[in-house]
Amino acid sequence: MYPKDVEKLLLKVQKPGRYVGGEINSVIKNKEEVRVRFAFCFPDTYEIGMSHLGLKILYGAMNQVPDFWCERVFAPWVDMEELMIENEIPLYALESGDPVKDFDIIGFTLQYELSYSNILNMLKLAGVPVKSCDRHDLFNLVVAGGPCACNPEPLADFVDLFFLGDGEEVDLEVMRLYQRCKEQGIKKQEFLHLASQIEGVYVPSLYEVSYREDGTIRSYTPKDGAPATVKKRIMMDLDQTYYPDYMVVPNIDIVHDRISEEVLRGCIRGCRFCQAGFLYRPFREKSIETIDAQCKALCESTGYDEISLASLSTSDYSRLNELIDKLHCWTVEKKVSLSLPSLRVDGFSPELMDRINSVRKSGLTFAPEAGSQRMRDVINKNVTEEELLHTVAVAFRAGWTKIKLYFMIGLPTETMEDIDAILKLGQKVVDAFYQEKDRPGGKGVEVTLSAAAFVPKPFTPFQWFGQDSMETLRKKQHALKDHIPSKRMTVNYHDAKTSYLEAVFARGDRRLGDVLELALERGIHFDGWESCFDFEKWMSLFEELGIDPDFYCARHREFSEVLPWDHLDYGIKKEFLERECRRAFEGKTTPNCREKCSGCGAACYGGGLCVEKRADLV
Amino acid sequence: MAEGFVLKNARIWFKKKDAAKYISHLDLSRCMGRVLRICRIPVWYTEGFNPRVYMTFAMPLSLGISGERECMDIRLTEEFPFQEIQSRMNGHLPLGMQVLEVSEPICKFDQIQWAQYHYEWKAEDGSLLLHQLQELFSREAVIVSKHTKKGEKDFDIKPYFSPGSFDLQSSGLLAGVVTLPCSVSGSVNPGLLQDALKSCCGMEVLADVCRQKLLTKDFAEIR
Ligand code: SF4
Repeated sequence: MYPKDVEKLLLKVQKPGRYVGGEINSVIKNKEEVRVRFAFCFPDTYEIGMSHLGLKILYGAMNQVPDFWCERVFAPWVDMEELMIENEIPLYALESGDPVKDFDIIGFTLQYELSYSNILNMLKLAGVPVKSCDRHDLFNLVVAGGPCACNPEPLADFVDLFFLGDGEEVDLEVMRLYQRCKEQGIKKQEFLHLASQIEGVYVPSLYEVSYREDGTIRSYTPKDGAPATVKKRIMMDLDQTYYPDYMVVPNIDIVHDRISEEVLRGCIRGCRFCQAGFLYRPFREKSIETIDAQCKALCESTGYDEISLASLSTSDYSRLNELIDKLHCWTVEKKVSLSLPSLRVDGFSPELMDRINSVRKSGLTFAPEAGSQRMRDVINKNVTEEELLHTVAVAFRAGWTKIKLYFMIGLPTETMEDIDAILKLGQKVVDAFYQEKDRPGGKGVEVTLSAAAFVPKPFTPFQWFGQDSMETLRKKQHALKDHIPSKRMTVNYHDAKTSYLEAVFARGDRRLGDVLELALERGIHFDGWESCFDFEKWMSLFEELGIDPDFYCARHREFSEVLPWDHLDYGIKKEFLERECRRAFEGKTTPNCREKCSGCGAACYGGGLCVEKRADLV
Repeated sequence: MAEGFVLKNARIWFKKKDAAKYISHLDLSRCMGRVLRICRIPVWYTEGFNPRVYMTFAMPLSLGISGERECMDIRLTEEFPFQEIQSRMNGHLPLGMQVLEVSEPICKFDQIQWAQYHYEWKAEDGSLLLHQLQELFSREAVIVSKHTKKGEKDFDIKPYFSPGSFDLQSSGLLAGVVTLPCSVSGSVNPGLLQDALKSCCGMEVLADVCRQKLLTKDFAEIR
């Protein structure tokens, strides 16, 4: 439901359906009967937030508890925001229509750094003090989780506590603690102290940071009995882990409008640029039976006719064919189609494509990530050119004519030759088409090369690496764009400015809080949207505050430097990352977890692939 | 499909108000398809590569306008009680929607020629608004620009609306009923009257507009 005053605004904005709620399966409770109200805030538009799996899982998990009511809140798009401010309508939640400032807990999911400005802006729209220290009572507690919580330091001034790792259990534990403290009249400070004792909870105000003269961190000192390192929470047995049997079905079209069934967590690959691949270790699979039962329940409750088998790398599910067989036993008859979110070069076959429906004959996407073998070895993307060319040849024979290839530029050790190799690889794909006797007739092949600028992230072997300057990145972009060898090829890339800002915040520290606060004051928001992103404005903030953004993004760190996230423990040993970093610079690859364990540290959780017997180890 | 069963048409009559009035026509058909699947109604699917639940809607309703009694047709692949369709669907619709009845279709949708709309103007001073409307319609023509497939076009709404349709209520609000062309060959959007007030008089007045009935050429309600 929406507040009455909103009615008069709705026909003046784009897509009013974003702001009204009332969707199928949205959870309505009697607010008199619930004890803790949680506002789940997604710092982006409705269509993006509603496509996000984590929201669906935690929404279900919290609402399962009769005492808790979790509602959804999204960032109003700029047209609506303007009208809300003009009409003095505070940010509200979609289920009850109640203002966010009436909620016990206000939770944000941190999916990408460029949404940080929206987090502060949403608090402001809600009329809630943005800084933790200005929220004195145990009320309007601001919490956050999600991948960017692995380096939450830029948000440390605003968020009372962060959830590290899997949220299914720890979120509920904190809510129960909150309920108890609220009912016993316990003060916020004492609550935070108690919360810091729960595994997976990081309370930034309980850590004192000191800096060296050169601006790097000297130390993190815990206070008030807070643990010296905060361990992430992890759900080891996915078959026993809560998974929703319903999902809110939006009334309007959204980005991913289908069922997402998570089939595994983690990734076996160990690509050195990929943060998710390290954060979510170890690799854990759901059983076929569980997946099958969950898919059935979700189809029955949502009426969707498409299931996406979601994960970081679904082709690595050990029994994918068996799983699809099992699902086909009922999905075919029920006219439900299956899709995979991404395909590995070595995971592609026309047989598989026939069995999943989502990939239309029109386009196939692969991510070789780098053009030369040398570069792919550096990033540990264990895909060879031969494999790629074989795969595209198979695809051409089977009738595909559009291939999109994802690359990164600005990778460690990269030279202009590596950039050139991207174009060469693209050309080989074009050639492979014309060499194929059984290629499809018609308009010919279209190859799109998409080049993203590399952003070094915490908890990866490249966490010490200084990002390429924008100038270098632009030079590389032009080298691509200006030398496209074939009319059959297009090159896409994004402005290097967004990657720059992303890199600043990804490895930022607490001192960036001032920048975010000033950004809020200057009305900066929706940085992830080209129409709103204002790089020059951001740069002027840094200048005004005397903070050098290059310190965060462009600087190479020493292995010995204390990093802002060193006191957070994701199970991956820093020595392992260092070893991987050295191997990268030596151009040495590391086998995937299924081939051989490389001793990253995640075996400490005692489960998943780390403890499985490998064929060569018996 | 049950063997030997001839597909049977069913007409679903429903209400679409409040939050649901912001569901666009395209989204409505997606939504109804899902609801029919959730309710396990034995519906017929279109054939072909991408089978969809077969549904036809009487007349699209513009975004923001409520529908008191809208309708859509489905085909059943086996005998299934109409009452059961209604009760199942009512547990699973978005807020603001309700199935009122399920019946055997009598009219064809191409028989629809008119629609009756109820307006409730949200202007505090209803008599002032009435006065404005009278002034507006005393003009030679009331021109608004209308979205068409070929872009914006000037359109005179004077033949379709009259201030006489509206009365002052005891609440002080102005309200009334207007019947407008509504057919496959062309419709007049009830929102054009608000557009005219805005573009010709600079008045932005909110109105609750609700389509009450769909009518045949003789102004009989379709069935
Ligand atoms: S401990 Fe070994 S198997 Fe487990 S995630 Fe790390 S490298 Fe892979």
